[in-house]
Amino acid sequence: MEELLLELINQILLKKGKTPLSILDKDLKLQSDLGFDSFDLAELTVKLEDKTGIDIFERRIIRTVGEILEELQR
Amino acid sequence: MKSFKDDIFWVDPERGIIKTYGELIQDLNTKNQVRSYILYNNPYEIFLELIHSILTKRKVELLDMYFHKEEIENMGLDYNSVYQFEVFNSFLGVSSFEDIMKSIFLAKETNSWEVAIYTSGTTGRPKKVWQGLQNLIRNVRTGEKYKNNVWAFAYNPTHMAGLQVFFQAFLNRNPMIYVFESEKQRVVEYLKVFRVTHISATPSFYRSIIPYFEVPNENVERVTCGGEKYDSALENELKRLFPKAKLFNIYASTEFGTLFSSNGEVFSIDESIKDYVKITEEGELLVHKDLLGHSEDFILESGEWYKTGDIVEKIDEDKFRFVHRKNELINVGGYKVNPHEVEEELKKISGVLDARVYSRTNRITGNILVADIVLSESIEDKQNFERTVFQELSKKLQEWKIPRIINIVDKLDFTRTGKKVRN
Repeated sequence: MEELLLELINQILLKKGKTPLSILDKDLKLQSDLGFDSFDLAELTVKLEDKTGIDIFERRIIRTVGEILEELQR
Repeated sequence: MKSFKDDIFWVDPERGIIKTYGELIQDLNTKNQVRSYILYNNPYEIFLELIHSILTKRKVELLDMYFHKEEIENMGLDYNSVYQFEVFNSFLGVSSFEDIMKSIFLAKETNSWEVAIYTSGTTGRPKKVWQGLQNLIRNVRTGEKYKNNVWAFAYNPTHMAGLQVFFQAFLNRNPMIYVFESEKQRVVEYLKVFRVTHISATPSFYRSIIPYFEVPNENVERVTCGGEKYDSALENELKRLFPKAKLFNIYASTEFGTLFSSNGEVFSIDESIKDYVKITEEGELLVHKDLLGHSEDFILESGEWYKTGDIVEKIDEDKFRFVHRKNELINVGGYKVNPHEVEEELKKISGVLDARVYSRTNRITGNILVADIVLSESIEDKQNFERTVFQELSKKLQEWKIPRIINIVDKLDFTRTGKKVRN
């Protein structure tokens, strides 16, 4: 799961000309640390749903990488 | 340091701009260049030019600050001419805010001023809609009870919803705190620091700030949602975060301004506009031409009725609920996108043979765009083509028009009438 999430996050970062992450820090905040806007979050959530069948925003509001992993590992 | 006692007009925390109504008057009186096309990156400049144009009865065209050169040229405009200005050397002589108010209401009564706003049309390029103050301030409420309001300005200032918030706040001489471009974490802070009492935004905007509330905000008195479909889960969140606020939902569009508001998903048709609104047998909401701005691109049913493309469910004689959109425009975070426009741009990218754009739903922006693309054999790096698409389209299209998911396919599906399948 971590590998998949890292890959999808990096796809977005690279697209926007930002440096990709080498490791996934669970405390990273999606908006303030990774600079994700609503469109980036929408892309991430749809791609994760396609790969895992889980809508990470279904049950709660997600702020951090760690919270996404929690949802994926439910 | 200025305080609110100083009659604040505009606060743009990111640009470090604080302007009082007095300073606005001064800037209006000393303005010596005017433009026919309002295209500025700084929202204060946009509103300064807009107010100046009303006072001098100049028609102006408002261009989205996120338009790219390509989009402007596709609308048939010359890119260089939109930045042209004329020297203005008459003395405007505004001595008080009341002078401005008088001019605005006079321009409304005499219909002597108009602004053009661009919106996604059902043809390939944005359509231009001229609006006068009749429509822009139709729903503005003024008076004693509004005078202490403090507004968070959370819409794109060049769009209809932004203009509506602007006039509601301006005509009551309220301070506006510009948060539309702020980092979402800061928005929550600004609502608190500036003691904002009123906010109007898209559901997508609210969803993006919700993660940053540590405690509920008790200053906000009114929270308005517009531009996207009502969302009851969001309403519950908003009630929790703004426990003292009344919640409203508005139905508005670039074509006719605000027509209905409600405190849930059921809209009531006010007595005053009852004869100007009707619902067809198949449930489409029609609006009479008298409520519209004007545009060469309007197509009217029986010469009189504008088809909104919104399918609604009639609850009783004067109540309805929004169901879905009939035409192909896709609502991405409150912005309407025409998939044909995006497909045209995709096909200009080297290696793209054909493209089909459609939407995927999600809980953040309602929809995002997906593109199925047929690539030429000559493209070797198909893996990273999504990045190429993003980077190419970022130079040409507003961000919400860029497909975020790219599927490379061998061929596109067509219906029997030859139309591309979008769902």
